[in-house]
Amino acid sequence: MIVKAASHPAAHPYVASLLAGSTAVAKSPAAWLDARRAAALERANALAVPTTRDEEWRFTDLTPLTKLQFQPVSAAGNVSAADIAAYAVTEAAVRLVFVDGIYAPTLSRRGALPAGITVELLEVAIKSHGALIEPHLAQLVNNDKDLFASLNTAFLQHGVFIHAAKNAALKAPIHLLFVVTRKGAAAYPRCLIVTDTGSEITVIEDYVALGGEAYLTNAVTEVVVAPNASVRHIKLQRESDQAFHIGTCAATLAKDARYLAHAVTFGARLSRNNLTVTQQGEGAHAQIDGIALIGGRQLADTHTLMDHTQPNGTCVQSHKTIVGGAGHAVFNGKVFVRPGAQLTDSSQQSRNLLLSDKAHVDTKPQLEIFADDVKCAHGATVGQLDAEHLFYLKSRGLPEAQARNLLTYAFGAEIIDRIPVPSLVAQLEKSVMARTEASV
Amino acid sequence: MSTVLDNLVSQPYKHGFVTDIESESAPKGLSEDTIRMISAKKNEPEWLLEFRLQAYRHWLTMTEPQWPNVHYPKIDFQAISYYAAPKPKLKKSMDEVDPELLKTFEKLGVPMHERAALAGVAVDVIFDSVSVTTTYKEKLAEVGIIFGSISDAVRDHPELVRKYMGSVVPVGDNYYAALNSAVFTDGSFCFIPKGVKCPMELSTYFRINTQDSGQFERTLIIAEEGAQVSYLEGCTAPKFDTNQLHAAVVELVALDNADIKYSTVQNWYAGDENGVGGIYNFVTKRGLCKGHNSKISWTQVETGSAITWKYPSCVLLGDNSIGEFYSVALTNHRQQADTGTKMIHIGKNTKSTIISKGISAGQSNNSYRGLVKIGPRAEGARNFSQCDSMLIGTQCGANTFPYIQVQNPTAKVEHEATTSKIGEDQLFYFQSRGIPTEEAVSMIINGFCKDVFQQLPMEFAVEATKLLGLKLEGSVG
Repeated sequence: MIVKAASHPAAHPYVASLLAGSTAVAKSPAAWLDARRAAALERANALAVPTTRDEEWRFTDLTPLTKLQFQPVSAAGNVSAADIAAYAVTEAAVRLVFVDGIYAPTLSRRGALPAGITVELLEVAIKSHGALIEPHLAQLVNNDKDLFASLNTAFLQHGVFIHAAKNAALKAPIHLLFVVTRKGAAAYPRCLIVTDTGSEITVIEDYVALGGEAYLTNAVTEVVVAPNASVRHIKLQRESDQAFHIGTCAATLAKDARYLAHAVTFGARLSRNNLTVTQQGEGAHAQIDGIALIGGRQLADTHTLMDHTQPNGTCVQSHKTIVGGAGHAVFNGKVFVRPGAQLTDSSQQSRNLLLSDKAHVDTKPQLEIFADDVKCAHGATVGQLDAEHLFYLKSRGLPEAQARNLLTYAFGAEIIDRIPVPSLVAQLEKSVMARTEASV
Repeated sequence: MSTVLDNLVSQPYKHGFVTDIESESAPKGLSEDTIRMISAKKNEPEWLLEFRLQAYRHWLTMTEPQWPNVHYPKIDFQAISYYAAPKPKLKKSMDEVDPELLKTFEKLGVPMHERAALAGVAVDVIFDSVSVTTTYKEKLAEVGIIFGSISDAVRDHPELVRKYMGSVVPVGDNYYAALNSAVFTDGSFCFIPKGVKCPMELSTYFRINTQDSGQFERTLIIAEEGAQVSYLEGCTAPKFDTNQLHAAVVELVALDNADIKYSTVQNWYAGDENGVGGIYNFVTKRGLCKGHNSKISWTQVETGSAITWKYPSCVLLGDNSIGEFYSVALTNHRQQADTGTKMIHIGKNTKSTIISKGISAGQSNNSYRGLVKIGPRAEGARNFSQCDSMLIGTQCGANTFPYIQVQNPTAKVEHEATTSKIGEDQLFYFQSRGIPTEEAVSMIINGFCKDVFQQLPMEFAVEATKLLGLKLEGSVG
C-alpha cells in the first residue's frame, strides 16, 4: 500500500524532487503513524529549502545540496563484515547496522540484553511496543518549520527503537552503525530512545561511508529521559567528504534526568547538526560536548538549543572546532531560560582553532534569559595555535610540524577524552592525529 | 526587598513637558512632494535634492527589518509629519531666541548661554527638526573647526558635506537609514581640520516637541589627519500617548591618526508603565576609521525610548585602527532594547573592544546584538568583547546575540557574557555595614556600569549615574 500523495504539490521544486520517493514508503500497521507521516509530507510540501536569508541558515548555504538529486534506494549495496571492521566498538552490547538506510541483519550483532532493555527495529517495535512509541515518535522534533525533520518523518520507515524499563541499566553501549555505499542515495534513519524512571543507557549513533560518494543522510533522533534516568548519547559523523549530512536530535528531560551528549564531526562536504534539549522537569542536568575537525572545502554547522523551562536545571556545554584548508565551521548555541526557571546554572563555551589562511569560523553563542535568579555565562574564542606554546615545544626539540600536531590534538582531545568508551576514543584519537597531520 | 527596588525603578519621567511654542509643521505624509517641499524650505542645492530622492526611491523598494528582537504595531509612515520647525524663524543671536525655548533647555539642564561658558561646552541644539542655536561657534572657528547645523554646513561648506555625506552610511544601507536620507531635516555637522585638537567638548541636544512628528536628524563628523574631538549628544522628548519615530543617521569619518570620541546619553520618553506612548528610536550610527592609526570610540548610556534599535559601529579600514564600544542599556516597564555594535575589521592589526552592560527591570526586554567580523586581509586583528546582563525582577528578559565571523587565522577574538542579579548576600553585606537597601542597590548598579561610565566625560558621567538612579527608582527588589 502506498501513502497517498499530498493534496497539493510541493511549493519548491527541489523539495518535490526529494519527496518523489516518498510514495514508496510502505503503509504502517499503525494508523496514527500513517497520519503523522501524511501530516509531515503535507508540511514538507509547504516548506522551501532554507537559504542564507533565513536566520537559522545564515552561514550555511545549501546550494551545493540542491544541485544534486537524492533518492532512497530499494536495495542496499554489498557490504562485508571486513568492510566495517574498522568501526567496531568492542565494548558494545549490541550492534545494529544499516546499509544505505536499510537494516543489514548479517552485519548486525544482537546478543542477550539485561532485563528491561529493548533494542528493536522501529518497524517491528511499532507492532510490539506501539503504546510506548506513540506518545513520542515525531512529537519531539519540530516538524512545523524544519524542512529536514519533516522530510525524515515523511519517509519514516527504517530505524531503531530503544527502551529502558524502570531502573534497568546497561553499562555497555548500544552501537547503531549507519553505512552508505551508493552515490545519489538518500537515507532517512530514525531513532527513538525512551527511558523509564531511574534507568541508564549509552547509545552510539555512528554515520560512516565506504568510498567517497555524494549522498544524503537526513537523520532524526528523539530522546525521552525519564525522572532520574540517565542517557549518554554519542553521535559520530564520519561520512564521506562528498556527502551531505543533516542530523536533528531532540531530547526532553524530566525531573532530575541526566542527558550527556557527545557529538563528533569529521566528515561530510556539508553537515548540519541540530540538537534541542528541553528540560521539562526540575533539576535536570545536561552536558553537551561537541568537536568538529574539518579541512578541505568542508562545512560543519552545529546548532544547539538548551531550553530551561523549570527551576534548578544545570547545563554545561563546550563546543570546539578545528578548521584547516578552506573549511568553514559554524556554531550557533542558544541557551533559553524561560520565566520561572529560577536557579538555572547554564554555561556555554565555543572555542575555535583556525589552522590556515582560508579557513573560517562563524560562531554565535546566544543567551535569552527571562528569569532573574540564574547563573548563565557564555564565552567564545577564535584564534590560532599559541606562538608561545609552539616555541616551548620547539625548544624541547620537537620539529615545527610535530609541535603543531601535538597542540592541535591536545585542543581536541579534551572533548574526545570525555567519551567513556575506550575503543572508540582510540579510534577517534587515531583519526584526529591523521587529520591534523594532513592539514598542516 | 522587592518594594524598595520597585520604588527605585519607577521614577516619573522628568523631561516629559511640552513646550508651548508655535511651530510650523509640514502636513502629514510622505511623497516625493514632501521631500521637494523640505528641500525647498531649506533652500538646498540640486544635488542634495537628488540625494534625497534617490534615497526615497530606494526606500520604497525596501521592507522593514524583522530580525530585531522587538515587537510593535506596524508604523504608518503616512501618519507622520516629516518637518516641524519652531516658529517664528530664529534670528542669529542667542538673545533673540524664543524665551520659551530657552526655558525648555533650562528645565532640561542643558548648559547653554552663560552656563555653556561655565561648563566649557559648545552646544548645538536641535528642536524637533531644526537646529535652534549653536554656542561658541566663533571661538571654534578661530582654530578652523566648523561646528553647527548641517543645514548651515550645506549652505556654507557644500563641498565637504557632499564629499562625506552618505560615504559611511550609503542611502540604501537599511530601511530607516534610507528613510532618514530622504527626509532628514537637520542635525549637527562638525569638521576638525588637520592636526587640530578640539579645545572643548562639543555637544548636541536633541528634543522632539511636537506630537505626531518624527525626528530625522543627520550628524556628520569629520576628523582630518591627526585631529581629535570629543562629541556629546543628549536626547529628550515630551510625554505623549502616541508613539513618535526617531530615525537618525550619524556618520563619523576619521582620517590618518585622527581620534573621535562620541558619547550619547539617550533619555527619550519611554512611554508609561503600561507601555503607552514613547519614542521608537531606530538609529543608524557608524564610524569609518579610514586612515592608519585612527580611532573611533562610542560610549552610550541608553535609558529612554519605548523601543531602541541601535548599533553604533566601526569600520576599521585603516591599518592599526581602533574601534571601541562602551554601552549601558537600561530598560524598565515595557521598554524594549535591541542594541549593540558591529566591529568590521578590514585593515591589518586593527583592534576593537566591546563592553556592554544591560540592565533589565519591570517587564522589559533587553538584547545585546553584536557582530565582530574579521576580514581575510585583517592580519593580527584583535577583539575583546564582554557583555554582562543584570536582571531585576522576574518578568524581564535579557538576551545576548553575538555574531562572530572570522576569516583570518592570525586574528584573536574573545567573547564573554554573564548574567547576574543583585544578590541577597550582596545586599545583606551592605545592610550589615549600615547602608540602606536603596543606596546599596544604586551602588551595586553603579559598580556594574563602572567600566562604561569611566569612558564618559565628567559631567556626563555624573548625569548618567543620576539618570540611572532615577530610572531605576522603584524597580529593584
